[in-house]
Amino acid sequence: MESFVFDHVRGVGSDSAYVALYSPVANASAIRKRIMDASKMEGEEGERERDAINFAFIDATLITSRLHLQTAIHQAILAESQNSLRTKTVHSEILFALNPTNNITEAIRRYGVSDSSRALLVVHIGPGHRSSLSETENKMKKAVEGVLKPLGELEELTDWQRIKKYHRLNTADDEDHASVNDFVISAVAMKTVMQ
Amino acid sequence: MSASQNLIDSALFISQGAEAASIFLLPVIFSPDNDIDSIGQKVYKAQLTSNSSPILLKHRFQKQYRHPTLDASLTRSRIAGEARTLLRCLRAGVNVPGIRMVDATNGVLGIQWIEGESVRKLLPGEAEGEDNEEVDLLQEYGISIDEIMNLVGTEIAKMHKADVIHGDLTTSNMMIRPIKSSQAELILIDFGLAFQSTLTEDKAVDLYVLERAFLSTHPDSEPMFASVLAAYEQRMGNDWAAIKSRLDDVRLRGRKRSMVG
Repeated sequence: MESFVFDHVRGVGSDSAYVALYSPVANASAIRKRIMDASKMEGEEGERERDAINFAFIDATLITSRLHLQTAIHQAILAESQNSLRTKTVHSEILFALNPTNNITEAIRRYGVSDSSRALLVVHIGPGHRSSLSETENKMKKAVEGVLKPLGELEELTDWQRIKKYHRLNTADDEDHASVNDFVISAVAMKTVMQ
Repeated sequence: MSASQNLIDSALFISQGAEAASIFLLPVIFSPDNDIDSIGQKVYKAQLTSNSSPILLKHRFQKQYRHPTLDASLTRSRIAGEARTLLRCLRAGVNVPGIRMVDATNGVLGIQWIEGESVRKLLPGEAEGEDNEEVDLLQEYGISIDEIMNLVGTEIAKMHKADVIHGDLTTSNMMIRPIKSSQAELILIDFGLAFQSTLTEDKAVDLYVLERAFLSTHPDSEPMFASVLAAYEQRMGNDWAAIKSRLDDVRLRGRKRSMVG
């Protein structure tokens, strides 16, 4: 697990993101079902269940690079610190930032966990404390059945064809992954001022 | 206090006004086309997290002379405009800095930090008494003046093909970035005055502005600009004829169209 700390957000909002890459993942459909059920549960039990899976589950094959993910997380954290979230939580805001359209359902369907997800990026955003690191790690372990991989292996998993389709990048040369990466990072960063 | 303001407070101040000025605080060049708006921003070098690459922050700070509501909406639309233009260029494969963060509420645009040198500093005619500096730099970057002119023409043509008009083409707004084991690349920067247009007129004026900038910053640069146009022509193909004849018109009358009629 890695953490990104955005020093300039300290004192304004949640400044830290814990990120783990799991590949392969065995229980993707169970995770999806759990998220759906947790949102409907009431009372204390519901609170506990929602806390147990208080993560962004991102389809890792749609992330092109560490900077791509970092940019989406940063824009979500920024929106939260300004009380300008467009979705219900800072975690769903990451998925929203990743998708090039303004359709939230579509963003979650495309970039979130689906029954067929093989690799997942699990992200938790919160205030940065040493104690929350191990706690978060434990919660992730309980929620995800999969093999933990270093973030550096992200690029090997990328599904470039699908990314190009979502961003409507038809003209780009098939092997030119670097410029696709550049484009999607910029697209994520400017999401809030997209037309 | 907002997150973006904290980021600015911890950043390294670079300049007020033009984007291309280096850390040594060159005197900022005001080309005739820099309107008040492009001066009304400050530029910083910053980092979002401790192990990420540096970014360049452009802060359109609040203008006290404007009504706050108007100020907020103008700032927002200008940041949005610049970001959209950059994305349009990236989609078309034009070499421009990537976008790294946008906070339109606070007037902050973060773009990729380009390691390199502006074309202005690589060409002869900067300041007197440092004649050899450009030659050294050219050698260090492994590029000749001719190659630079070729890159300039090609990159502008790519941009115009995407119907993006830069609005402030000068040799300061082009950076040369060295690449290991390959020829250096040219990156167009500062899209603060850019807009989208399909009009031949706008493209011709864009070239005319660059021509004037060339002649006023680099003595005896007519042959240089001619090779820029040659590369531009090659890349533009069939569209060149119309732009060329319009450019000749613009040269006769200046960049502003006649207000008569």
